[in-house]
Amino acid sequence: MTVPLGAYVVVSAALFFIGCAGVLVRRNAVVILMCVELMLNAANLALVAFSRKYGSIDERGSVFVIFVFVIAAAEVAVGLAIVLSAYRNRPVVDVDEIHQMKG
Amino acid sequence: MPAPPQRRQPARQADGQVTYDFVEPVVFALLSIGLIAGGVAVVMLSRITAAALLMAFTFLSMAGMFVLLGAETIALFQVLIYVGAITVLILYGVMFTKFSDRPRALFFQRQTPFAAVFVAAVAIPVAIIALSFTSPTPRPGGGDLIPLATSVFTDFAFPFEIASVLLLAAMIGAIVLTKRDEPEEAAARRRR
Repeated sequence: MTVPLGAYVVVSAALFFIGCAGVLVRRNAVVILMCVELMLNAANLALVAFSRKYGSIDERGSVFVIFVFVIAAAEVAVGLAIVLSAYRNRPVVDVDEIHQMKG
Repeated sequence: MPAPPQRRQPARQADGQVTYDFVEPVVFALLSIGLIAGGVAVVMLSRITAAALLMAFTFLSMAGMFVLLGAETIALFQVLIYVGAITVLILYGVMFTKFSDRPRALFFQRQTPFAAVFVAAVAIPVAIIALSFTSPTPRPGGGDLIPLATSVFTDFAFPFEIASVLLLAAMIGAIVLTKRDEPEEAAARRRR
């Protein structure tokens, strides 16, 4: 009795939508970054599940997970740098309050 | 004629020997509960430090999920990069910014029935499509390090190098964005 592939995909979709709701609902920029990380992680779960269950002898899907790790690390570094520099300009982290670049 | 794929043994064999096939669904259920509860807590909690630590817990549950799928190398990278690096980075971000205690922007508050209809309209087809995936053949066991390394360093060698350039660019960008002003620049700004 093994866990079917669909169960992994359901968990991945649920976590993705939870992260999406967090991005839409939360106002704190750091929490929005955390929710984006949750969404990337959910995509990783789907990639690994399909790669392990469907793939042939080589691991094509898992290679993309490595690249997602790289993108996530770069994204969180640059995102936090942007948040910190905006915070240094004006001490707010609410994305509603940061509208200096609004046209 | 090739041998048919080996069927899993029933939970209790004829000679009374107990197998451990029930362990995998149980572990999967526990990890799923951890993932979903951790994600919901990250979204719902207003204390941001607690949300960041629960995000680390979610990442650890995801590493367990990778181990359950047989991708140990990915799980190792998950623990190293997400639990080790990204959580610490986000905790530093939380510490450097004075977060406000404003409540969540509940813009669905007055539109709860519409939101429920929308969520049902999205979630039910997604669940049906997701559950329709079935794995054709059970994979043989074994680690994923050797096929992963073979793919990365043969077919995906060029994207791998591009990823390293991207990391370098992100590192330089983060340093430039958070760098303090030089003293003469600050003096020039004060003169203005």
